[in-house]
Amino acid sequence: MATDIQISIVGSAGDGTIAAGEILRNALAGMGYKVISFDVYPPEIRGFGKCIARMRITTEQAYSLKHKSDVMVSLDDSHAIPHANEVRDCGAVIYEQGSIVRLPEGGHMSAHVGPGQLPYPLPIRELSEKSTGANRSRNIVVLGFIAGLFNLPAEGFRKAIGKKFRNKAAAAEASEAAFKAGLDYAAKTFKLDDVSFGPPVSSVVAGATVEMINGNAAIARGALDAGIDTFFGYPITPATSIMERLANEMPKRGGRLLQTEDEISAISAVVGAGFTGARAATSTSGPGLSLMAEMLGMGVIGEVPGVVFVSQRGGPSTGMPTKTEQSDLHMAVYGGHGDAPRIVIAPTNVDGCYRCAGKAFEMAEAYQTPVIVLIDLYLSNRYETVVFPARPPFEADLNRKPGKQAAGAQYKRYALTEDHVSPRAVPGDKGGMHVVTGLEHNELGRPNDSAELHTAMSRKRHEKLKRALKHPDFTQFKRFGDEGPVDVGVISWGSNFGECLEAMLKVRAEGIRCAAMKVVMLSPFPTEAVAAFMADCQEVLVPELNYQGQFANLLQAHVARPVTRLNRVSGEPMKVEEIIEEIRRLAGSKAAQKAA
Amino acid sequence: MATAKNARHHVVIGSGVAGSQAAETLREREPDARVTILTLSSLLFYNRYDLPKVFRGHRDWREFLAYPAEYYKDHRIEVRRCSRVAGVDGSRRAIALEHKEEIRFDTLLVASGGRGYIPEELTEYRPLMHPFSSYTEAVTAAGVVPERGHVIMLGGDMIGLDLARTLVDTRHRVTLVAGQQTFWPHEVSEDERPGLIAALEKMGVEVVEAADAGGIASIEKGARGLSARRVLFRDGTELYGDAVMPFFGLSPSVEFMLGSGVDIERGLLVNPALRTTSEGIYAAGDVCQIWSDADKRYRFFYGWKNVRAMGDLAARNIAGGAEPWVPAQDEKLHIGADGKIQSPFWEYE
Ligand SMILES: Cc1cc2nc3c(=O)[nH]c(=O)nc-3n(C[C@H](O)[C@H](O)[C@H](O)COP(=O)(O)OP(=O)(O)OC[C@H]3O[C@@H](n4cnc5c(N)ncnc54)[C@H](O)[C@@H]3O)c2cc1C
Repeated sequence: MATDIQISIVGSAGDGTIAAGEILRNALAGMGYKVISFDVYPPEIRGFGKCIARMRITTEQAYSLKHKSDVMVSLDDSHAIPHANEVRDCGAVIYEQGSIVRLPEGGHMSAHVGPGQLPYPLPIRELSEKSTGANRSRNIVVLGFIAGLFNLPAEGFRKAIGKKFRNKAAAAEASEAAFKAGLDYAAKTFKLDDVSFGPPVSSVVAGATVEMINGNAAIARGALDAGIDTFFGYPITPATSIMERLANEMPKRGGRLLQTEDEISAISAVVGAGFTGARAATSTSGPGLSLMAEMLGMGVIGEVPGVVFVSQRGGPSTGMPTKTEQSDLHMAVYGGHGDAPRIVIAPTNVDGCYRCAGKAFEMAEAYQTPVIVLIDLYLSNRYETVVFPARPPFEADLNRKPGKQAAGAQYKRYALTEDHVSPRAVPGDKGGMHVVTGLEHNELGRPNDSAELHTAMSRKRHEKLKRALKHPDFTQFKRFGDEGPVDVGVISWGSNFGECLEAMLKVRAEGIRCAAMKVVMLSPFPTEAVAAFMADCQEVLVPELNYQGQFANLLQAHVARPVTRLNRVSGEPMKVEEIIEEIRRLAGSKAAQKAA
Repeated sequence: MATAKNARHHVVIGSGVAGSQAAETLREREPDARVTILTLSSLLFYNRYDLPKVFRGHRDWREFLAYPAEYYKDHRIEVRRCSRVAGVDGSRRAIALEHKEEIRFDTLLVASGGRGYIPEELTEYRPLMHPFSSYTEAVTAAGVVPERGHVIMLGGDMIGLDLARTLVDTRHRVTLVAGQQTFWPHEVSEDERPGLIAALEKMGVEVVEAADAGGIASIEKGARGLSARRVLFRDGTELYGDAVMPFFGLSPSVEFMLGSGVDIERGLLVNPALRTTSEGIYAAGDVCQIWSDADKRYRFFYGWKNVRAMGDLAARNIAGGAEPWVPAQDEKLHIGADGKIQSPFWEYE
């Protein structure tokens, strides 16, 4: 039986909601299920903000979360009540049966469990207190209950709990007791919901490893596997954990990481490190990217490799730092002064984060330019089970070294070549002495602002990037769904593509001819492929998480053809149902036109 | 749920036949009112007379529901499941739920029914018995009785005997340990009893008269290699079966009404219009004793049809009516021409 179950745990900061989610998804991934998960945190570090841990557990690969969960756990009714209607009919709502304070009418979850849903009131607090002497382990009691109710192997949970508390003996012991209390309570509970887990299906090839990992961790791992040498960064939500992870790992591999005083320093140091030949990167979010704009221009004119990982959040300015949005695309592709082309790639899932991170270093080096890897909070914090190949799929060195210079010849750092990429020496290379400045220059790198040279160098900087469109072993775009002509084609990018894919699969099951295309390479733009796809589509829908339709703007700058935009700025991932609705509408109007 | 501001709030305690019928009638009579049902049950309303079907293999609760979930949404009836009423304050018109939530009402209908009565001397064996008063209990009981398994039925009221009919029909073995409550709630004379017992035996039920065996001494777990349960009688005789199921009639669920201001005898006392001694508080179904002018006493009226009629009447009276109670079914137990027992309780629809 195929498994497709979504569980959400809703609580207040301090309830252990996110920790419970982490243990649950690790346990389930360890059992062999595919898991995709996205948590919601409050802006406060600790306090009373709402936390939601949400995960979808499947046997077949899923691409997004579902709008309705099959199971919801409330660790705090005041936060969970507004989400009660996000549980499907015949799904389970698990909540604290009692209360230690008087409640006004409607203040208890029992008032909000819909007639189609199944209520599971539990003495969560009491079980925690009886088993551990404190109420802190309520989250673990609930995990025990879930394991028991859905007949999941307790051993898998115990392992995940052990891992979580491996350095905290007391917490591990209390968790074990609380888990057992929940498990025992489930044994006495009559199961009424229709949620059931089938056996997991393992499809891992020999040598590969499967890990439950989020987008930021995947970025860090991709950077490490690509041999990152130096990292300079300044913390900013939601990108911070990229830097945190690298800070743990890089020193072990001889790398260096420095927290700079701000983003301007970080990017400046990256450009400096790139100049020396290091594989260098930084990570930031929208506001940080704005600060980096000037030095990115320097990287472009100096043709210095460097990688910038950008995780977008709700903007502008401080905006909504803990909400997701895809509204820095204009900034990433166009932001900056002068004609400053750069490579911008946007993965669509966690596996893509790993691949794009590694490939970004290759491209930066191969085309001697800054590369931006553009993700967003939804992808940064989204966990997926990722299969990592036995050997990292990245090239260690794509530097085009200058050959031996002819006697008396001067090394031309910016030689105008056929493919527009010049041989690149780094400090220390014999005969490769050169100067890099922010000034327009001649082939030697000497300042020169003649009309001819500025034209030639501008062309060089733009043209060389086009080669990135054929960068080896890199998925620039991909079409899914029906082949040939379709009623509706959905084109999207970044984290939002998973929802588009789910929507496409659902409408196809309804008989609508539909295909979806993901575009990973945003700059330079794969115009030919996208235009060919659009030529197959009667209607083109472009769903994205920003107000202006930034990707649709980019698309239309390259392919002159009207598209239907679907834009949401709710701070949350787009609902698959909304996309389905729009596809149906477009397919319907097409059908009506045909009939007319 | 959209309900007019300042609309009356009618609260019904209980989602059995009486409560559910009352909610339906209230919604019909007062389209703008807010109607809330409070219940212990985790399921929406189902007819309990359907429960024997679990022994015919029906184990999906959805088949049992009297109305689908949409019915409650469409009729704007709020159902608060797993919500135990801990107390009622008639003067403040407030209900205290066990989880410390307070609910205010304009009118209250108590339709909390009754729960399986267990004689005092047997209460210590409760964990070893399988009651049969709810869907979950029914499925649990059916789960422990194998095909052609043996059920020992203690007491045997009309609910138990109805189940016995199904058990015999599904080729289970049934031994009835008969006693005073065997034909509850029918009142059966000494003269009628032997004929009725004989009819049960003819039906295929093995009958042991508890009194003849000196009463039940204990209920135990069956020893290794034997059936799951042993019932030991005082005279030393014993019975082995897969499950022991108690059926001793019902005792009204009224404990949460103590201190509410409503008069209670065994059930909640109501006048023929089903109003309690407190203004605005009504009662219907197995929980109430209705004043009978004919009998000059408060008395219970059992049976599905009666209970449903009570729910309907109480609701009509809450909505402004003043009609008196008229029983909806006869209470006589017969042996039909075919030699089978016939009870008005078994005429479900
Ligand atoms: C297995 C079985 C088979 C039956 N078969 C037949 C039959 O064949 N024919 C027949 O005529 N009758 C039969 N009956 C009896 C019939 O079902 C009852 O007469 C009828 O159910 C009584 O209805 P009621 O609405 O008064 O109460 P009930 O159906 O008992 O419902 C009481 C309701 O009150 C709720 N409640 C109780 N206490 C509280 C509290 N403190 N807080 C909140 N809610 C509370 C309960 O959760 C429940 O929802 C059978 C009963 C059973 C158990």
